[in-house]
Amino acid sequence: MKRTAAIALGLTLLSAAQGARAQAPNDRFDKPADLGVARMRYMVNDIQGSVAFYTDKLGFKLVTQSGPFFAFLTRGDVQLLLSPVKGPGGASQPMPNGERPAPGGWNRIVLYVPDLDAAVAALREQGVHFRNDIVHGLGGNEILLEDPSGNPIELFQPG
Amino acid sequence: MTETQVNVRYMVGEVQAAVDWYTGHLGFEVQLNAAPAFASVQRGPLRLLLSGKAASAGRPMPDGRQPEPGGWNRFQVVVEDIEAEVARLRGEGVSFRNPIVSGPGGSQILAEDPSGNLVEIFQPAAAFSR
Repeated sequence: MKRTAAIALGLTLLSAAQGARAQAPNDRFDKPADLGVARMRYMVNDIQGSVAFYTDKLGFKLVTQSGPFFAFLTRGDVQLLLSPVKGPGGASQPMPNGERPAPGGWNRIVLYVPDLDAAVAALREQGVHFRNDIVHGLGGNEILLEDPSGNPIELFQPG
Repeated sequence: MTETQVNVRYMVGEVQAAVDWYTGHLGFEVQLNAAPAFASVQRGPLRLLLSGKAASAGRPMPDGRQPEPGGWNRFQVVVEDIEAEVARLRGEGVSFRNPIVSGPGGSQILAEDPSGNLVEIFQPAAAFSR
């Protein structure tokens, strides 16, 4: 069923576009803006479970992982950093007032899909949880799914 | 060029204030301004979608939950000299949630936009630099 979702998400197209370029520049950790990629950091409860989710369900590629403390994934021009709520990494440290970074919120990466209905159906079949139903907006249709930590990912079909 | 563009959506309280902040402090350029509902600003390959309550992304969930700014997930701005960058931003009145912290991968600090959304300023550790 993984394959169904991957196709529905248009990953085959994405891979083809990437192949046309030189050696994937998004595997680099430094200066993402210079390399034509952009980077987002998500806080997660569990690195391993999150890596499995993003690679199996959403077609991300794992580039680097530091055990339970950090993971660096890519999908097209998106670089996704996953940081746990506790660990040695800078992003896992509490604020000066004691507040701890946590998953959740509403800010998110937007992934374009060629066929939103098909993508949603395939992901629902795999047990992926959605926060809402497809919303018809001015620029297109969108929906919010949740990763295992409750972080949102938006699927968007322009139109 | 949608193939080489990364879209990130932030919920904001006031769209125009967000547009002013991202263009004034972080070098974004306005791509579309439909304030007070929505605006998009661009910096390199990153297109930041700023959605207010009146945007389609601002509609409540079926369970009644209302999308709002905040949280900890954020995009990252990679810099070569984080001390200098932070000094510049502080001089412009930008507020930060924490001091610069160092981890195995590099140094980072969290800036807050006018709605309380985070932007991470990050300098890779020497090992990652060219």
